[in-house]
Amino acid sequence: MTTTMSFHYKHCYKVLLPGLLTLLSVLYALTDSALASSPQRVVSTNLCTDQLLLMLAAPTQIASVSALSLEPASSYMAKSAEQYPVNHARIEELLRFKPDLILASPYNSPSMVTFMRKLGYRVELIKPANTIDDIETNIQQIAIQLGKKNKGDALVRTMRQQLAAIKIQPQRKRPGGLFYQPRGYTSGRGTLQDEALRRSGWRNLASEAGIRGYQHIDLETLLRLRPVHIFTSAYAAGTDSLAQRLLYHPALRHLTAGTPITNIDYKYWICGGPMITQAIRLLAKARPVQ
Amino acid sequence: MKSLHSINQRQLLVTLALLLVLLAISSLLIGSEPWPMIQALFSHPDQRSSILALILTEVRLPRVLIATLAGATLGLCGAAMQGLLRNPLATPGLTGSASGAALGAVIALYFGLSSRFALALPVAGMFGSLLAMVLVYLLAGRDASVTTLILAGVAINTLAMALISLLLNLAPSPYAVQELVLWMLGSVTDRSLNDLWIMLPGTLLGWLLMLGCGHGLDALTLGEETATSMGIGLNRLRWQLFIAIALAVGSAVSITGSIGFIGLVVPHLMRPLVGYQPGRLLTISALGGAIMLLLADLAVRLIPAATEIKVGVLTAVVGAPFFLWLIIRSRRSQT
Repeated sequence: MTTTMSFHYKHCYKVLLPGLLTLLSVLYALTDSALASSPQRVVSTNLCTDQLLLMLAAPTQIASVSALSLEPASSYMAKSAEQYPVNHARIEELLRFKPDLILASPYNSPSMVTFMRKLGYRVELIKPANTIDDIETNIQQIAIQLGKKNKGDALVRTMRQQLAAIKIQPQRKRPGGLFYQPRGYTSGRGTLQDEALRRSGWRNLASEAGIRGYQHIDLETLLRLRPVHIFTSAYAAGTDSLAQRLLYHPALRHLTAGTPITNIDYKYWICGGPMITQAIRLLAKARPVQ
Repeated sequence: MKSLHSINQRQLLVTLALLLVLLAISSLLIGSEPWPMIQALFSHPDQRSSILALILTEVRLPRVLIATLAGATLGLCGAAMQGLLRNPLATPGLTGSASGAALGAVIALYFGLSSRFALALPVAGMFGSLLAMVLVYLLAGRDASVTTLILAGVAINTLAMALISLLLNLAPSPYAVQELVLWMLGSVTDRSLNDLWIMLPGTLLGWLLMLGCGHGLDALTLGEETATSMGIGLNRLRWQLFIAIALAVGSAVSITGSIGFIGLVVPHLMRPLVGYQPGRLLTISALGGAIMLLLADLAVRLIPAATEIKVGVLTAVVGAPFFLWLIIRSRRSQT
């Protein structure tokens, strides 16, 4: 019995040594990543954090993205989101992913955020971006949290280059335009649409009329502002509702002398991200030739 | 009573018509910001012409005309139903015909029927209205007591509203759910001339059919047997009115949503003025309904609020206390 035992021990020793070594190296690697604080199981619970996460993280770092990220009308990164499991920001769902970082927005349910924090999970709230400066801040903030600072800096640099590349012909008089969404909403001062309009050589008549943020505008008020062009970001093409029918009001077509409303997809700015440059390019292209 | 009888009917008609024209003109001039039209008339001329004309013809004119048509329809239908069922509470709002029409319109609008075929909207409204009305009528039975009629009406109304809310939740458009309030309370904001053309044929046809029933309704006040002996075909009268109401309410509600209480309040207010004759009450109630809806719509525009208040909110604020008063009074007369 003893002989067999000693034989067994000897044998084990030979097998265990390399095993122990690999275990040590794995542990070392784990502590290393922990020290560099780069999370490996990131869960994003909001469309906007999804976008930046998908742009910045290594594919292995992403554990789950929100279900909305698959929706191509509002998610710019819908294609790359397809390979990840989705969540609906429900607590039980999130626990299953054993996340080491949860990205959320102040618009997520506050009870989810406090509960996850109480259980000891790291939840980072990313504020929605209302300006291009905000977008840069958010990119850098998420990049640092993912341990991808260089990638974040590069993304910001590319965005700046793309913005600079959009040529705006200087005009004697900037044309006046505005946004008109289904249900009669417009974008005033302090919105991405406002900044995009101004950066693409337009005057935003809504903010000049004193509108702040995203607000309802009366059809008559809109007509009196006399925009030469109306933009919208209506989505769900092919569906019908009274809200959407408002955009086909005959008065609007008379006003812009038959120029149809230009649709600029929501995916460019429902969330602040570098894709805003594409919206600005489209806006600049829509300017009337003088 | 005698003094009321002696009110000259023609004078009453002319007064109401003048009031209506006056209100319609002020509705054209007054906007969400008070008096901008008059201000605009005195502003620099190059800015004035085109935009002013555009607001007048494409925004305010359809709004005023649609409010007039819808208000008149509701007043007229209220008067006709109260006359037919000889029941003070029989109105489009309470007997399900308005919510049935809204249900039909919701089906046509949100599920793509009316984008392929514009007239699908009022036609679906008419069918919904007729179906709801006939159901209430069958549930409550002829000569129903006030309570039975209300109960049947409440049941059908609730069912229609529940289905509207379900369908709006299932509708493919992401904007649909938020429009529940509109269908429940009604609005005439931001409508176009297209909408007017959609509602016009059914409304006018329904009016004509209804106004032809005046004599029958007068005879009906003497009781069904007497009316029959006077040569009134009761079955025919009933169906003619049901179809007329379905045509008019179906068309109006599918454009404005169901605006409450006008059909209830207006005939009651006007009844003493026409010497309690249901036949005469029809035209007068139509005028009164149009006046009431135009007034409510004017008030809605002048109330300062971030987004416009639905016009049905105002008609309900005026109408609900009146409804309560009616119930209290009818309870007193029963005991």
